[in-house]
Amino acid sequence: MIAMLAASLGVNANDPTFWIPLVFMGLLFLLIAGGVVLDGFDIGVGILLPFAPAGERERLMGQLSPWRDANEFWPLLGIGLFAAAFPLAWGVVFGRLYGPLALMALGMMLRSVSFEFRIRARAEIKPRWVFGFWLGSLATALGQGVILGCIATGYQTEAGYGWFTVVIGLCVVAAYVLLGATWLFMRTDGDLQRRAARWGRHAIRWTAVGMVAASVMLGLANAGIFYKWSQPGGLLVVVGVWVVMLMCFSCAELLLARVSSTERSHQWLPFVLCIVLYWLMLAGLAYSLFPYLILDDMTLWDGTASVESMQLVLSAAVVGVPVFLIFNLWAYRSVFGKERR
Amino acid sequence: MDIVPLLLARIQFTTSLSFLALFMALAFALAWLLLFFKLRAHGSGRAGWTAAYRFWVRFFALSFVLALAAGLPVLIQLGSLWPGLMDKIGNVAGPLIGFGVLSVFILKSCFLGVMLFGQRRVSPWVHTFSVLMVAIGQAAALFWVLVLQSWVQTPAGATLIDARYRVLDWSEVIFNPSLGWNLGLMVLWSLLAAAFLILGITALQALRRPLQDGERFAFKTALVVAVLASTLQIPVLNGAAHVMAEHQPAKAAAAAGYWQSGAMPGWTLAGLPDSRAKSNRYAWTLEHAGGAWLGRDEQQRYLGLDKYSGMHPPVGLTFWTLRVVLLLGALMLLVSWLTAVLSLRRGLDPASLPRWWLRVMVGLLYTGGLVVLAGGVFSLVGMQPYAVNATITQTEVLGTTSTTALALGLAGYGVLYIVLIAAFNGMLFHAARYGVVPVRKPGGQPQ
Repeated sequence: MIAMLAASLGVNANDPTFWIPLVFMGLLFLLIAGGVVLDGFDIGVGILLPFAPAGERERLMGQLSPWRDANEFWPLLGIGLFAAAFPLAWGVVFGRLYGPLALMALGMMLRSVSFEFRIRARAEIKPRWVFGFWLGSLATALGQGVILGCIATGYQTEAGYGWFTVVIGLCVVAAYVLLGATWLFMRTDGDLQRRAARWGRHAIRWTAVGMVAASVMLGLANAGIFYKWSQPGGLLVVVGVWVVMLMCFSCAELLLARVSSTERSHQWLPFVLCIVLYWLMLAGLAYSLFPYLILDDMTLWDGTASVESMQLVLSAAVVGVPVFLIFNLWAYRSVFGKERR
Repeated sequence: MDIVPLLLARIQFTTSLSFLALFMALAFALAWLLLFFKLRAHGSGRAGWTAAYRFWVRFFALSFVLALAAGLPVLIQLGSLWPGLMDKIGNVAGPLIGFGVLSVFILKSCFLGVMLFGQRRVSPWVHTFSVLMVAIGQAAALFWVLVLQSWVQTPAGATLIDARYRVLDWSEVIFNPSLGWNLGLMVLWSLLAAAFLILGITALQALRRPLQDGERFAFKTALVVAVLASTLQIPVLNGAAHVMAEHQPAKAAAAAGYWQSGAMPGWTLAGLPDSRAKSNRYAWTLEHAGGAWLGRDEQQRYLGLDKYSGMHPPVGLTFWTLRVVLLLGALMLLVSWLTAVLSLRRGLDPASLPRWWLRVMVGLLYTGGLVVLAGGVFSLVGMQPYAVNATITQTEVLGTTSTTALALGLAGYGVLYIVLIAAFNGMLFHAARYGVVPVRKPGGQPQ
């Protein structure tokens, strides 16, 4: 497949102009996949804060604390890599997404500052920063959702599409809530765990709605993607992915519905199922778009800088990736465990 | 073309970049001052230096958090406000942005945790080493941001081919003509921002109660830094002005308020530049003094604003932001020297200063920060109408985002920046009165 791609571009597969963009694309995909899940549960817990009783909010924020340092870096690294590796596509993509990106930037900024300032603030002011963290999480999720909606509609701006992107935005909020709730379900016990299960069951429906809507729109609004899906090989993949996703949804729902009888050793399962779900969806999106950054308009090879610049970025990545891996393996080594008190 | 979106985009980008610059500057300078405190604590063994470290590390942490958070909006705005820009300068800017983000990532992931939360778990020297690495990381991040910011002012080492910059020589790109002076200015202004913050807060404490050792040490260090940095400003500003005159003559002419080419160049101290009458009203001018900082053509004639047929920065704003920079710089020079003279006999002890002088110092708390802001605004506004000096205009890279969206975005950023600055300010004054309580990050694992 690699050789075929290279041939279609008229270059040798060993040519740096061919493989460096592919490496960057892979890294970028890993960053997005990691960020959606790991920064995702963080966002989800943030959105859930007002639904928890006032006394529990501090505990919830404390739950996130060990991973905050690692979590908050995914978006910055992702955007940095996108800018450095695909500068020619960067402006074209970002220029069409001003609104949702601004919402996301505001949200992320408010989130990270609220979290750090809350730790150092005096007790009577802490609730304000908890509120800030909630607001920031909501704005981040909504912004990312609208971005997803824009990508699914192929950046079309007619009125109907606008409402569609808002709906997808809300569904992504639900998806992050689901992720946060299943993480809490795994992490806590007792009353908070029962609450988490209830939140998760509310969110799971809207997540499913959003995923179906986004996929349908992706196929219908973009002729190129519809064509790809309807090829014999493509159809098989699409149907396979859909079946697996349906199974993930039902299993997660069943597990959450039986809080008391779900065995302690299986409580990590809903969270993992959610991760699988979101990764499948991202993989589906990547499969549908590849090799385009902007569908039928700009491939990843059109989006990269000159070879010399790419090699510089690659050398930075060679330094960055090992540090990144070691740091994250260390930081996330106990993310699946139970809370220790 | 409608002027409103352009104006909104300019205001928004300038605001975000200034906010980032302010807290990057504070975090950078505080990191190096903290390193000094740590080294003195090792060297002298006196508890006061450790106390000074304990107190000021809090404001380093808050500045760092704000700077880190402010980086994301700047990056996102760079892409979404000026979508055409990266298409043209991506070959240069891409790697520079990559290096900047990587520096911050490495410093934060490897060393910051140890510096802020690990003091009890590692040996004192390992901790000091982590402070050193954080300080170096801060310097590296600042360096890459400044390389890009200087390169767009004086684009060297690359050439425009098919409307895209191709890099010819990376060392020329990085060490472009204005980098050195810009770097010098940024370092000095950062140090002044941190030093005047420390001086002001310590003066406030001295007004309320007798000072402890740590506060006296911090005051002394900050005073020496302020005296040195505010004096060094003079040659560095002069150097930066010469580079500006050579490479950005339109900016130099606007900064001087020099309208007609060939006229005798005075140096206008103050006045109201009037773009209709093409002259300065109420001008207060030093005759014959301004020539050194103006651009010249081949015949050595001075280049005035009339040479640029409108392609020059807004004169009033450029003129006045520079006056603000110079005025505040002079004020800091005066105050730091006077304070040093007044307290020299008592070993730079703030207790020897008269109360009204301490109040003046409290009032000047944010002067250094304001210079960083004004300097940033001057360098950005002076670029207009270009996004890359003399080759790419802002108009041609501006996106098609609607005026409403831009206005809403600007309002959102504005409110958030004000809230965050207010919060920083509130925590500063609370800590000045009650001191800081060490924090630890709670959670499932020790951080």
